Amino acid sequence: MAISILPPSLPAPRRHAPSDTSDHDMSDGEISGNEEFSHSTTTESIVTPGETITSDTQWMRGHGTYIPANSSTIISTVAGTLHKTNKLLSVQALRARYQPEIGDLVIGRIVSVQTKKWSVDIAAPMLASLPLSAINLPGGILRRRTAVDELNIRTFFSEGDLLVAEVQSLHQDNTASLHTRSLKYGKLRNGLFTSLTGAGGGILSRRGGVVRSRRQVFTLNTAAGEIDVVLGVNGYIWVSKHVETKGEKDAGITKLEETVSETLYSSQNEDLEPGVLKEITRVSTLIKGMVACGTRVDEDMIVRVYEGAIEMQAEEESLGGVEKGIGAKGIVEAVLARLALDG
Amino acid sequence: MAPSQAAHVNLSPAELSFLRATLSQTPPIRLDHTKGPKDFRSMRAEYDVLPSANGSARIALEDGTEALVGVKAEVEKSQWRPTPGGEASIPTVATVATAEVEDTEDDSRGKGQNAWIEMSVEIPGFREDDSLPVFLSSMLTESLLASGELKDRLYINTRFHWKLYIDILLLSPPLSYPLALLSMATHLALLTSRLPALKSEKDEDPLFDDDWDASVPLYPKNKGKASADNQIDKPPVIVLAMAVGNNIIFDPCKEELAVADAVLAIACASSKSSPTGARVVSIRTIDPPSHLTPPGIPDSMNSATGGKVPSSSADALTQRELLANSGVWTPPRGGMKRGLISQVVKMVVENGGVAEEVISALQAIEVG
Repeated sequence: MAISILPPSLPAPRRHAPSDTSDHDMSDGEISGNEEFSHSTTTESIVTPGETITSDTQWMRGHGTYIPANSSTIISTVAGTLHKTNKLLSVQALRARYQPEIGDLVIGRIVSVQTKKWSVDIAAPMLASLPLSAINLPGGILRRRTAVDELNIRTFFSEGDLLVAEVQSLHQDNTASLHTRSLKYGKLRNGLFTSLTGAGGGILSRRGGVVRSRRQVFTLNTAAGEIDVVLGVNGYIWVSKHVETKGEKDAGITKLEETVSETLYSSQNEDLEPGVLKEITRVSTLIKGMVACGTRVDEDMIVRVYEGAIEMQAEEESLGGVEKGIGAKGIVEAVLARLALDG
Repeated sequence: MAPSQAAHVNLSPAELSFLRATLSQTPPIRLDHTKGPKDFRSMRAEYDVLPSANGSARIALEDGTEALVGVKAEVEKSQWRPTPGGEASIPTVATVATAEVEDTEDDSRGKGQNAWIEMSVEIPGFREDDSLPVFLSSMLTESLLASGELKDRLYINTRFHWKLYIDILLLSPPLSYPLALLSMATHLALLTSRLPALKSEKDEDPLFDDDWDASVPLYPKNKGKASADNQIDKPPVIVLAMAVGNNIIFDPCKEELAVADAVLAIACASSKSSPTGARVVSIRTIDPPSHLTPPGIPDSMNSATGGKVPSSSADALTQRELLANSGVWTPPRGGMKRGLISQVVKMVVENGGVAEEVISALQAIEVG
């Protein structure tokens, strides 16, 4: 089947995020008698910007809401679902951009190169900046940044390059300042980039998205070799071949920089075997499928879905005709159904 | 050569090199690894979405690209033009007589004019006179006009004709080159377009049946007998094919397009001679965005990785040539091999080929 054209469908039923249930304990029925409010007793109802949530004065406004001057009505400012925490009303946006926080591991793409810094797209409302002083320079961590480095700024990162970094500080206008002052961070190569929408972390647990508190860099064992997965909190994901850095074990603290710096700013891929290429693409496709299915994306889930997909493919090859839908979403749905059966 | 979209590729050289490596495997590993080289992205389609249009369709791809097409027909006074092969300045008795001799079906043959179809393509973020919408609309119009059947069908009589306005709206930013999507949506809209039934005869002022149930489809359906000369005619559809090395990939997504050697847009319509298969209406090459990507800097030439910056640009070029097949991204040069073009065309038009599958899949939407 080369092409599949389907009639439009109703939106899929929303899955509850597992930690979603604690927010709404509506013990005392204060809202009875308020007509405007009656439609939002279920958390599944969606409010739109400008929609009046309630005009009752006993409620406090939370995130995503607004009270106009000279009135007591609470109005939604975003499109999303309504949440009630005791007397606090907040609206959780269906989709939001990533809000950077100090210490977040993010993946970014260089948008522009300036005299002493780079502007990096990290899916936040504003571009982040990566100063030249916040990167490891080849040849030792304590080297001074000279005018020559400023002139050669494009040899480190140039437009379009992907990098993994940490949010070092936030400015007043919520722009982030990044750093790559660790051997874990730096330029990305040997792999494939994927992005998912929806902000991770945030005020309330969101459906899907990368979870901030979980492990974000892990290695996946596949038949063709090890694969590194980096889940940026900002929803950018990097899947690449695992490269052993030989200096990792024997080199002392002082020599560490020199051994790694050889390939730190390389934009050349290593030799990638066809098997590895295939597995990297498979992991990346499965992650996209998981996003389409609305499941959360973390290490545990990726490993389980990946193993399920491999198992399913093996069965298909030996038995033939395993039931699955079309494309990545179909595969992930089939795997999830199977995982649910297993318990 | 039509230009690529203005939004240029923003991928790092390492990513481009990786994508190129996956696509040049045999068989190619596509970005969505579940898809083969001939597979299209799955899409959702519906028709008759706009109540006041003669025909309309909406197609949404899974990645969120969405196109809406409306077809509106208006009766317009034909500009008088002398009939070839006769000085007949006014429709005299003689010309009317000859017209009557002719078959009624042949009455309109060759009388259609290109100006009777007007197309506008609107893409968010682009001005009307930007190159992308202009080229898209000219490529779509070209394929519609190429066979000449559609414009002839717009002929009413010597004084009046239908004027067809095809308005194409891309509802999302163009994530990949949207030509194929727009063409499929246009195909579906035209296929389901209906014109009011004509009640007047000959050169009278046209009078139409105001009963919409009695309206006639713009592309008449085949009723029962399927004789060879009475093949159901369908509007053309454009498919995109790209080449990476010796691999041919259909319906490329944005990232795949970014590493293409060459891109072809092939407009095809169902074949007249056989019930299966298709014929090519027009072919265009599209300038792939990969030509504009910056080349990757090999480690040996990068001062940050312990390499040495070449002293001159000529020196850099020679060093690059030696590294052509390693993991360094080099933008493709040159065009498409003649053998590849014929292979693409064959894959499109053969029995059970890509064109037939696309056309029958769109047909199934209308029927189902």
